[in-house]
Amino acid sequence: MIRQVEALFDGVRHHFEAGGKLELAWPLFEGAETFLLTPGQRTRHGAHVRDRMDMKRLMIFVVYALVPCILMGWWNVGHQAYLAEGIAATVPEEILRGGVAMLPIIITSYVVGGAAELVFCVVRKHEINEGFLVTAMLFPLTLPPTIPLWMVGAGIVFGVVIGKEVFGGVGMNILNPALTARAFVFFTYPAQISGAKVWDGGGKDWFAGPLVDGYTGATPLLAATGAERGAGSAVAALNEAGWSFQSLAIGAVPGSMGEVSAIGALLGGIFLVVVGIASWRIMLACVIGVVAMSGLMNGLAGPESMAMMHLPPHYHLVMGGFAFGAVFMATDPCSSAVTPTGRWIYGFCIGALCVLVRVVNPAYPEGMMLAILFMNVFAPLIDYFVVKRTTRRRIARLAAA
Amino acid sequence: MAHHAVKKGLDIPIAGRASGEPIQLDPPGTVAWNPTEFRGIVPKLAAREGDEVQVGSPLFFDKANPSIVFRSPVAGKVVEVRRGRRRVITDLVVERTGDEQVELQSFAPDELKGMSAEAASEAILQSGWWGALRTRPLNHVARPEQAPQSILISAFETGPAQPGAAELMTAEDAEALQAAVHVLGALTSGAVYLAAGGDHPALSGLSGVERHDFSGPHPAGDPTVQINLVDPPRGTNRVWYMRAWDAVALGHTLLSGRFHAERVYAAVGAGVKTPRLVRTVLGAPMKHIVGDTQGTEQRWIRGSVLTGEAVDANRWAPFYARAIHVLPAEVPRSFLGWALPMLGSWSFHRAFLSGFTRPSRAVDMRPGLYGGERAMVPTGVYGKVVATPDILPEFLFKSVIAGDLEESIQLGLLDMSEEEAALCSYICPSKIEFDVILRDGLEIYEREA
Repeated sequence: MIRQVEALFDGVRHHFEAGGKLELAWPLFEGAETFLLTPGQRTRHGAHVRDRMDMKRLMIFVVYALVPCILMGWWNVGHQAYLAEGIAATVPEEILRGGVAMLPIIITSYVVGGAAELVFCVVRKHEINEGFLVTAMLFPLTLPPTIPLWMVGAGIVFGVVIGKEVFGGVGMNILNPALTARAFVFFTYPAQISGAKVWDGGGKDWFAGPLVDGYTGATPLLAATGAERGAGSAVAALNEAGWSFQSLAIGAVPGSMGEVSAIGALLGGIFLVVVGIASWRIMLACVIGVVAMSGLMNGLAGPESMAMMHLPPHYHLVMGGFAFGAVFMATDPCSSAVTPTGRWIYGFCIGALCVLVRVVNPAYPEGMMLAILFMNVFAPLIDYFVVKRTTRRRIARLAAA
Repeated sequence: MAHHAVKKGLDIPIAGRASGEPIQLDPPGTVAWNPTEFRGIVPKLAAREGDEVQVGSPLFFDKANPSIVFRSPVAGKVVEVRRGRRRVITDLVVERTGDEQVELQSFAPDELKGMSAEAASEAILQSGWWGALRTRPLNHVARPEQAPQSILISAFETGPAQPGAAELMTAEDAEALQAAVHVLGALTSGAVYLAAGGDHPALSGLSGVERHDFSGPHPAGDPTVQINLVDPPRGTNRVWYMRAWDAVALGHTLLSGRFHAERVYAAVGAGVKTPRLVRTVLGAPMKHIVGDTQGTEQRWIRGSVLTGEAVDANRWAPFYARAIHVLPAEVPRSFLGWALPMLGSWSFHRAFLSGFTRPSRAVDMRPGLYGGERAMVPTGVYGKVVATPDILPEFLFKSVIAGDLEESIQLGLLDMSEEEAALCSYICPSKIEFDVILRDGLEIYEREA
């Protein structure tokens, strides 16, 4: 089997090599070959033997980690649609409907983003970066199912080009490309990505039938933000809308497709930590940041304070995109802080900022995306100070008599 | 006695380790010195092609310091001076015809105790073993006119499939090692450290050294790392180091007045039919040491698979390293390798099931890249194999790549060991060659400093 595939590639290789007829398609050929067969190149400089780990495996493991979130989101999209229409549906029906809504968005993201990626590979003559597999999956999971497909395409192209390729590709980027794509859609087409209108269908034909009476389409964060002032009203508003802490954690609530399930994100996070790909420091620091900041808010809150001031920390952890962002977005090694100490600071600030935006900024009910992008920008600065401190300690040790 | 438990690092479980008693080989037909091994030395020939030499006759010396001489391991005729690029001497080949010895100065054990620094360096220089004494930073051959901050004698080796004290030294070497310790101790006003990896009969009764025990994975046995943990060079100071087995040869030479060319080499790697230890002479042909090989295509490496040099099989054994690694060169490809659990192949990373455990047996590794080259994705993995404290490998390498010499020195360019950089290359999912980057950085430093 391996021999046949090898012979197949070797037979046409000369067409794709420099000077061949299909020279421009080299990245495609290379991508296809290394997708099927592990590279056979030998080491020429440096260490003679190398570990079998490569970037393909690293990135595909992140996609594996997304599976719980994808599956929960898949079911939930259908579940929410039937709920909105007040129709009792079985789980298979919900899954079917979820797939109809979700798959075109994911496929669009891969096809359109992949084309943009390929253009850069050809022009800049580098191999296809596997990081795209992750970016093109993360991005649709942060979108509502009602998003028009052309916005998905525009968003992923923006994320790939401006978020990544203009800096030189995976590893050189400053911001997380998937979040850059989402931020682009968020600020360019705000009506289609968040707010209650998104979830009542916004007039889109995704909801075939008429909506059930009293359906507001509010996400849990919107509901909690909109609650009356005073202690306990946020939780009461959530409960009134039919959402307990458990249902929020499971993810049976309206929200972006992949980010609703905190348990799904938790499973993915555990997987990523166990296989040693994502930083547990960042994830844990994000949680600590949320608990600390929301604890502070609770402490500062008086009887007349906004409802969100009173929202207990454990609700913050399971609502909105926090869990998904902390596990998959904040831990992006290229755009996060690199030093271990820096990662604690970086993660803590993301958690704290997320709560701050949720609680005190009335314009945006959710703050995770902005918190992560903001800290992406600051990650090099955090590292700068950690590196300076480490260097000082080193030099002091070497100078001591 | 201090103990250093090195936590960070990696023992690469490569197949083909040699063990057992060294096999006594017949003397080889030719031997050769490779002067390019000695950094900081510009070799000048002391014997021309066709000259008759004896065991201990000078073959070449350092242009800047003619007292640093390198002596012939056999008696016979200089048959060839091979040159490489820019006419650099790569092999100085001597054909062996006899056993005549040059009489060098010999010392009684008591004479070596309490020597003056001048007398001690004189004694080591004339012995022909000065080249075994190297400096941190930079790994140059030590300069006799400088005074080191301290000297470290390293008897612990952790390089992949490399022989260590247990293989290279015996209880009979204790006296020679003690002699070397005395004479080396006279060179410095600082301490003489002995870095040991465990008990060894040649080390147990040693006096005049401050003993430091090391444990843990590679690079715990790397003298650079040992120096960084015991007594890193301060300011512009230098720390000198020598391998304990080279110190043994120095001691034998000083005590007997005869150049001690006998040494143990290890033939290791899956390409060697029976990995073995052999007793032969310094600079013996690699094929003589290795014996029978297996596989159709091999890579011959002088030293370890991490930092060794790949050379033609018809060349000779190295001076510093004590192993010849024959690596089978075919790289088998596997189908959909990025997706499968790959139970059979060992990895440092936990994205392979095997990454959770140490392998139950040594692994037949091949010189494959197993991936495409990518930009560095700083997952924090490199720090797991760097044992030198307060080094942030991602930042150090980036500053070297950016050509910012000042910044890279601040970040530890001169401290990091080549073994650590090679381990970073080994584990790198982006297949970046950090050892090459480090070497480039050090080259720029030497050019500019």
